[in-house]
Amino acid sequence: MTAALSLHDLRKSFGAMSIIRGVSLDIENGERHAIIGPNGAGKSTLFHLTSGRIRPTSGEVSLHGERITGLPPFEINRRGLSRSFQITNIFPKLSVYENLRCATLWSLGHKYAFWRSINGLRDVRERSQWLMEQIGLTGRRDVPAGVLTYAEQRALEIGVTIGGGADVIMLDEPTAGMNNSETEQAVALIRKVTEGKTLVMVEHDMSVVFNLADRISVLVYGKIIATDTPDRIRENAEVREAYLGQASHQ
Amino acid sequence: MIAFMRLLAPWLALAVLFAVAPHVFASGSAMTMMSVMGTMIIYALSYNMLLGQTGLLSFGHAVYFGLGGFVAIHAMNAVIHAKLGVPVPMIPLIGGLAGLGFGFLFGLVSTKRAGIVFSMITLGVGELVSSSSFILRTFFGGEEGITTNRSALAPFFGHRFGPQIEVYYLIAAWCLLSVVAMYALTRTPFGRMCNAVRDNPERVEFVGYSPRMLRMIAFCFAGFFAGIAGGLAAINFEIMNSEQLAAQQSSLALFMAYIGGVSSFTGPIVGAVIVTYLQITLSDVSSVWLLYFGLMFIGVVLYAPDGVVGWVKLHRQAALRGQLWRLAPSYALVTPGFVAAGLGAIMLIELANRQFELVQSEGSVVRLFGIGLDAATAPPWIVAFLLFGVGAAAVRLLWPRVGDAWGAVNERLHSREPA
Repeated sequence: MTAALSLHDLRKSFGAMSIIRGVSLDIENGERHAIIGPNGAGKSTLFHLTSGRIRPTSGEVSLHGERITGLPPFEINRRGLSRSFQITNIFPKLSVYENLRCATLWSLGHKYAFWRSINGLRDVRERSQWLMEQIGLTGRRDVPAGVLTYAEQRALEIGVTIGGGADVIMLDEPTAGMNNSETEQAVALIRKVTEGKTLVMVEHDMSVVFNLADRISVLVYGKIIATDTPDRIRENAEVREAYLGQASHQ
Repeated sequence: MIAFMRLLAPWLALAVLFAVAPHVFASGSAMTMMSVMGTMIIYALSYNMLLGQTGLLSFGHAVYFGLGGFVAIHAMNAVIHAKLGVPVPMIPLIGGLAGLGFGFLFGLVSTKRAGIVFSMITLGVGELVSSSSFILRTFFGGEEGITTNRSALAPFFGHRFGPQIEVYYLIAAWCLLSVVAMYALTRTPFGRMCNAVRDNPERVEFVGYSPRMLRMIAFCFAGFFAGIAGGLAAINFEIMNSEQLAAQQSSLALFMAYIGGVSSFTGPIVGAVIVTYLQITLSDVSSVWLLYFGLMFIGVVLYAPDGVVGWVKLHRQAALRGQLWRLAPSYALVTPGFVAAGLGAIMLIELANRQFELVQSEGSVVRLFGIGLDAATAPPWIVAFLLFGVGAAAVRLLWPRVGDAWGAVNERLHSREPA
């Protein structure tokens, strides 16, 4: 069986500086995979390489067996990979509803249609409504995204990410900056909306990681030093030394 | 049905307004002015498809207006020459298609990038086309331009478009059609994604859209409607010259859109009406009318970034919540200062204009608001400086009151919003 997402010897350097130094990773269909690692390990860069935001220096990325290396982000998105951003990246002047609507249009086949009214598109309306219910923002339908609270913006970020119905979802630190109860809600939301999908996430909150992930990869200085189940990662000596142990000293 | 009627009502109102306007303002000069307004409404709205809707600041929009107009005028002459049965009302469509064609061509280069790069390329294309108008004399007609005779075309249901009123109604019909079409465009998947690309082009890429393709389509549409406006201008004036595609015509689009307000659909319509009115009346009154224009533009950019329509909307919002009275005292307080400073500024500008400019040959006396002022003597200058200085100081001193009043209003407006 082909992996949902497969990275093969992926490398990225900026000038003389190597950020990603040969990452190979297979993520199975339906798996929930977390990537952890100390600050500056290259987690976000790895996300950018996979989603097409930046091109890798060498190596390959495959989505369901199809090579997507070097494709622009919208081509990758159309093939079923959608990502969120560490720093909230939505449409600030558009309302919650319009944000979600934008996220659904392409996948429902409406593309650049300039000959039909958007309000008349029933599939778009229903899906946007459904998304709004999923992320719990129905009461904020017409509020511009820019004036939402931080937690609401993070929920909308997830809504926009899953809006196109992609089956590989990548979330970059979805709970960063949240308090405990907000984090709990976010985890429940992520669990609910990625049901049956493949999830790849970068996360700093270890309780979230161990709670959600089927497998964990530990990225240190641009290399994956271990990929395993949460229990085994916890016991891995190398990981403890490189990351978890270091974290407990801080 | 009711929803449909509500959708239709504003357009019907606009149609009625267009229909009765020449009966209210029946003079020849009013008719000419309204014809120009109709043309400029299309031009300003087409510009705002780029600026307000898609977030693209173009410095060369007159290219599509002008080229549309030139192609239209050549088409008219060709039709006359070959005795073809094409009537005048078809001509703006030819202008539009020319605008679309050139929009596509130059769009390929311009829309590659957004932001500053886009603006620079449109500036470059604008200069390229406007300077080539002095080289390609057979097409652009050099200094004199290209003329035509609209009444020599085939009659349209017996109308030859000789009288201005017939041209007015032709422009009004095309204007209505274009306004409805451009409004409808904002309510399509494409139109909404243009707004998304304006807000955050990066994220657009991650919901499956190519920002470049969106910019490209928007650019083509903007070129098309600008071309229609150019075609109407060609019919209206029966002449096109290189000024119509030069930088000043491009900045006119920016002025109209911005003064009216780029963040609403109606803004550029209002802007086109105001700017055209001022352009025609001010140029009669003062030789430095462009200076007043510039000052007005700066004022809007600094103090009312959402333009006239945005300003009105803000006050209507306050009025609907019954909060307008809170603003009245502070407004009353700053008004005298404003008026004094404005009068002082106008006096200074006109006195200086008379004293230092070529018009001095007309003597040193300026007539302002029916009063003769001698620019060669000191008293008018002293009065002007005093008016401006005291007025400006008063506004500056009292302005915080307006801010406080708005603070109080906003507090009440937002506290009633659901949490």
